[in-house]
Amino acid sequence: MTTLFIDDKEITVEPGTSILEACRRHGIEVPYFCYHPELSVAANCRMCLVEVEGWNKPAASCCTPVSEGMKVRTRTEALKKDREMIMEYLLIHHPLDCPVCDQGGDCKLQDYAVEYGPSKGRYSEPKRAVINYDLGPFVNTCMTRCIHCTRCVRFANEIAGTGDIGVLNRGDHMTIAGIVEEALESELSGNLPDICPVGALLDKPSHDLARPWELSHHSSTCIQCPNGCDIQIESRGEQVMRIRPVEGSPEPFICDRGRYVYDSFRSPARILEPQIRQGDGFGSATWEEAFARTVELLKDKRVGILFSPYWSLEGLMSIRLMRDAVFPDAKVAFDLHRRDMRPFAFEEGFSMTTEQIESADQVVVLGCDLRQRLPLLMLRLRKRSRQGRPVTRIGAMNYRTNMSLSNDALIRPRDWHAVIARAMEQVQQLGKTAAGMDEWMASVDGRHEAGKLLADALMADTCALIVGEEIRSHEDAASLIYGLDLLMRACGHAEEGRDGRNLVPEAMNAQMLSAVFGDVRASAGELFALAQAGELDALVLVGSDPVGDGLFPSAAKAALERVPLVQVGAIEGEISRYAEVKLPAAAYVEIEGTFLNMEGRVRTANKPVKSLGEERPLWKVMMRLAMEMGSEPPVVSLEELREALYAAMPEVRDACNSVECDACLIRVGRNRDARALPRKTAEAFPLDVVSRYSMYREGMWARASELLSEAGRIHALDDVLVHPDTLAELGLKPGPLVVESFLGRHTFDIGVRDDVSPGVIYIAKRGVAGDLSDVTSARLVGCGGDS
Amino acid sequence: MTMNEAPRFSEERLQEIQALVARYPGPQSALLPVLHMAQEDFGYLSLDVQKYVAEVLGLTLIQVREVVTFYTMFREQPCGKYLMEVCTNASCMLNGADELVRHMCDKLGIKVGETTPDGMFTVTEVECAGACSGAPVVQINNVYHENVDAAYIDAFIEKASKEDAA
Ligand code: SF4
Ligand code: SF4
Ligand code: FES
Repeated sequence: MTTLFIDDKEITVEPGTSILEACRRHGIEVPYFCYHPELSVAANCRMCLVEVEGWNKPAASCCTPVSEGMKVRTRTEALKKDREMIMEYLLIHHPLDCPVCDQGGDCKLQDYAVEYGPSKGRYSEPKRAVINYDLGPFVNTCMTRCIHCTRCVRFANEIAGTGDIGVLNRGDHMTIAGIVEEALESELSGNLPDICPVGALLDKPSHDLARPWELSHHSSTCIQCPNGCDIQIESRGEQVMRIRPVEGSPEPFICDRGRYVYDSFRSPARILEPQIRQGDGFGSATWEEAFARTVELLKDKRVGILFSPYWSLEGLMSIRLMRDAVFPDAKVAFDLHRRDMRPFAFEEGFSMTTEQIESADQVVVLGCDLRQRLPLLMLRLRKRSRQGRPVTRIGAMNYRTNMSLSNDALIRPRDWHAVIARAMEQVQQLGKTAAGMDEWMASVDGRHEAGKLLADALMADTCALIVGEEIRSHEDAASLIYGLDLLMRACGHAEEGRDGRNLVPEAMNAQMLSAVFGDVRASAGELFALAQAGELDALVLVGSDPVGDGLFPSAAKAALERVPLVQVGAIEGEISRYAEVKLPAAAYVEIEGTFLNMEGRVRTANKPVKSLGEERPLWKVMMRLAMEMGSEPPVVSLEELREALYAAMPEVRDACNSVECDACLIRVGRNRDARALPRKTAEAFPLDVVSRYSMYREGMWARASELLSEAGRIHALDDVLVHPDTLAELGLKPGPLVVESFLGRHTFDIGVRDDVSPGVIYIAKRGVAGDLSDVTSARLVGCGGDS
Repeated sequence: MTMNEAPRFSEERLQEIQALVARYPGPQSALLPVLHMAQEDFGYLSLDVQKYVAEVLGLTLIQVREVVTFYTMFREQPCGKYLMEVCTNASCMLNGADELVRHMCDKLGIKVGETTPDGMFTVTEVECAGACSGAPVVQINNVYHENVDAAYIDAFIEKASKEDAA
């Protein structure tokens, strides 16, 4: 540790810290523009000057490391003068239009101008004006206000990995330029307005709509992906204007999905009052009427319950309590992406924190579009690759990553067994094995060379294995995960403290779901099959949209044609057209609650936004439902509900009560006895089917958001993609082709891309080709042909 | 090279570039010398040439554009066969650089920064060429011409025009 004196105050920091960072951490105010803790140091604004005793000129504190015994002064007459001069330079070409600038009231330039600026400028020559750029649907530019700190440029290069912004010319002619077509490529573009210290880059959706001082601030948790970022919600009255990251939380940035989903909070798709079906439409009802109809539909019936994992832990617990009280025999499902319901050797969730993954010796990503699913974990992998650390990927599609991968192999989902078996062979040759491995290998015939990449990476001291949806949704997922578990155990990556097994969950709260619902859990597909077979009389859907999302849309439709649906939720999905009753439950930003992210971190939402209508927290709806159905409500207050939750998961209580809540991690479930051996199944059709996950289209909230839909349109692909070789082998040409599967024959626009593994049909546009999500294999035939 | 063709370095050039890149920690460090080569080979750095350089070095276009637009010696527009850069900084100015520029422009019938219609001569002003002892200085292509006056320039222009006609 290094000790130094800043304004006579003794301060101890880690060696190598910059003076500016030392000041920031100890609440000593030093003005600065170009420095940003997450970006490389450019030291080009010179605003951060300080004096160091014994040095004959002021030093830029952002790029000067501390040294032992250093004596730093941050407030002297001379420095005040320096800062005044720098401000005068920065303001020469500035339009001084604070009254019409969105940044006004929340702007460093304005603040420092008040502190260090003269009240009148001396510059009376013509000022320059700069052309604005189109930086996509989320960022507005007013480049005349730019002070050329290059924070945005560094953000694009270092964080977003798009490298789409740069500095052109120099001196008076210097401008920030975006290469327009590429600017949209980033899923993190919404962070640019936050990064810009002045009003040059502004948030487009909220542009000219509110002033910073009119907004009230709420804190919550983003539930749009399992990362569960802390978010700050800024609203005027009940209208949400912006969502921003929270300073000091584990992730300093948030993605565009989490940030711009907010227009769905007030979209017409919200369920804001109880509704009952009337003919083809719905009529508003009182809670009493709606519950009366619900009871009619559910009383003494065989009921299946399907819910979304996105509710708070309290909400999820209340679903369980309601089920036990009212429908003790009901099957419950919540995962729309799991086909194989046998227990997994390692359940959904991460054993490592994202920091640990960033610094692991090796990272292997298996079958996952990380950039779309977990944009912030992708950001960490990108940081890693910039430092030259390896990332290996194996999967059915070369998903875009904006970074260089050290190893990359394309395989078909049906090859996974052979990949794992090949890796097992290799590690066994090196003397590493685990009980059960021989048996596992013996039940797989083929070997796939991609397994070498996996085995090579496993040799490292620490290896983070990130298992994605291509494996999790596999029909033989349990045996694949068991195989991977054997590999990890053999190579020492399963021991306490070095556990590298991470299974990307579908959504938040995965650890709680496997702990609390493990004994009653069924697959969503099974529920739909039961309903179709007449073995269920009604379905209760609590916030899930199996028609719009997931792997069972056609099964869901077939089931809902047969049985009535009671929908409880905050927002309508594509299932709403089947509902008999809709009961409004509060959205995630409208409740106080606790969430668990994929790492097992407890996230709390404690300052909710006001409700827009009659919606109530889910637990209250569930308890009222229990009461109306004639049961004693299991809990009557949030405190009692939390006690029930803590009883089921004591770790959550510990985490909630600890000061350092971030540091408590809830462990992922393990099933040591889940010995699933590969099943020998002959695929019905020659090609494997993989569906795309698009962060702009997946989930009810995203689909209801016009902002995200707009971005989704920009990122659109053909309906269905295949590798050019796949078509060539069949003697077919891109264009409309028939996809034949167990669902029958359907015609889609087929495009070609090298990024798709040969032998794979990749469903790029779920909305159009959505029903194909049900199938795992298919055949391609020419239109009009009879083959 | 005709203007419509996609710019391509010769085999030897590519080898030269490879050897150059190998001397630095990363290809970006070789950008400046490679841009000079490109300017020499293709005459000026059109957007297509910049894209090609980016491709050769594995950089993004903006990384190349940043450098090209920063340095005034990189040209994004075509210039004449003879690029005449007159120093108009203090020493040269005191020794008649301004008159010299005026004379050259009148003689060639162009303004500063322009090229004669036959594509032969371009006149520009530059800041200190670092050869004050020979003020006024004109750099013509890569050669310094010192103590230049109107007669010297006239003679140069005549000689160059004749050579070109031959
Ligand atoms: S646009 Fe903003 S962030 Fe980018 S250089 Fe200008 S002031 Fe800095
Ligand atoms: S990364 Fe996930 S949790 Fe974070 S803001 Fe984006 S969608 Fe929300
Ligand atoms: S913050 Fe130090 S120079 Fe800009």
